Amino acid sequence: MKNFFRRNWLILTTGFVIGVIALALGALGNPGNMGFCVACFLRDIAGSLGLHSSANVQYFRPEIVGILLGSMIAALAFREFRGKAGSSPILRFILGAFVAVGALMFLGCPLRMIIRLGSGDLNALVGLLGFFAGILVGVAFLKKGFTLKRAYEQSRVEGAAFPLAMLVLFILSVSGIFGTFLSSEEGPGSLHAFWAVSLAAGLAVGFLCQRSRMCMAGGLRDVVLFKDFSLISGFAVLFLTILVGSLIMKGSEFSFSFAGQPIAHTDGLWNFLGMALTGWLSILLGGCPLRQLILAGEGNSDSAVTVLGMICGAAFSHNWGLASSAEGPTANGKVAVVVGFAVAVLISVVCTFAKKKEDN
Amino acid sequence: MIHKKGVRLFVTFHTTADAMAFERACRTAGVDGRLAPVPRSITSDCGIAWETEPPLRDALADVIKRERLNTAGICEREV
Repeated sequence: MKNFFRRNWLILTTGFVIGVIALALGALGNPGNMGFCVACFLRDIAGSLGLHSSANVQYFRPEIVGILLGSMIAALAFREFRGKAGSSPILRFILGAFVAVGALMFLGCPLRMIIRLGSGDLNALVGLLGFFAGILVGVAFLKKGFTLKRAYEQSRVEGAAFPLAMLVLFILSVSGIFGTFLSSEEGPGSLHAFWAVSLAAGLAVGFLCQRSRMCMAGGLRDVVLFKDFSLISGFAVLFLTILVGSLIMKGSEFSFSFAGQPIAHTDGLWNFLGMALTGWLSILLGGCPLRQLILAGEGNSDSAVTVLGMICGAAFSHNWGLASSAEGPTANGKVAVVVGFAVAVLISVVCTFAKKKEDN
Repeated sequence: MIHKKGVRLFVTFHTTADAMAFERACRTAGVDGRLAPVPRSITSDCGIAWETEPPLRDALADVIKRERLNTAGICEREV
């Protein structure tokens, strides 16, 4: 046990710090149980850029920019920043888009799923079961030889382009130059901490996650493949931190329940299926949405393309009425998740068995 | 295999598929080792490495050459 703590002190610390920051952001203005949510925040950014027209979810979230830059700073400081690209970019874009579709069916990325669970939302437990089921399917294809092919070295300018472009957009959004960025006046998009606080929070989380390799999909993959609990231990600490913090902050109002939870619905089947799709695709992509942001900050353009896919998928989710709301999933959303599974099967099978044919 | 302390040899890969193929080749060749998460001190594309004893470096090199396996690097680390 002592050796476990010695080897995993950084990931355990990261889980604790993310938990404290998520609680603080919630207290300082972010939506309920949404101190952090990569899928929701990318959806808000898509809205602020005018890529979708849902007036309630539009805001250029500084946390996303902070995570990208925090990861970039850590990678530069520890000489791990490398431009890389070339690993099936269009497939990654498509997979990223359907990750967003699955996450917005559930109403949260894997990170928010743990935050929701620690806050007493039992719908997140159903989501976690779905996410784990998706991981199992993805791992089965990994074992059979699934691959999106390797990435190749690119220039450092190529690697830095996406995080810096997001920084420029963020500066434009805060400064009000051009006045073209949309910002919700009501709904989740209107709820946020002061931008500098959100940016600092993102920077800290990005830095720590780059150093610790924090990843929910990778953590569960390691549990399934190697019986290794190192990565997942960070999320266990995150859960406990949110749980204890919620108990302290909410007092007698805290309860584990399905109904009445903030920005959540109680349709168990679609909570399960939404996160199953997200889990499966995250394994194919090599990391959860948070990990994709971290890799994009390290100079990986394939992950940057995946993030762009998630932004695009989130925009489609709201333009076409695919995203769930507190009232529950939509008919269009259910069709989109089924289509997402069909795409997952197609890409999984082709990229597993076509490879073997090429090798032969 | 129980996680052993001390200096260990790690082979890293660009893709998970390369790691899986490497495991199959080592099993067939009878070279001891296991797939494991990459230690934090090593950068890896796929997050999976082949972990084994440092004296097996030459045996691994033979398998890599004979089976024409794709690897990203080989290094030793204290765990």
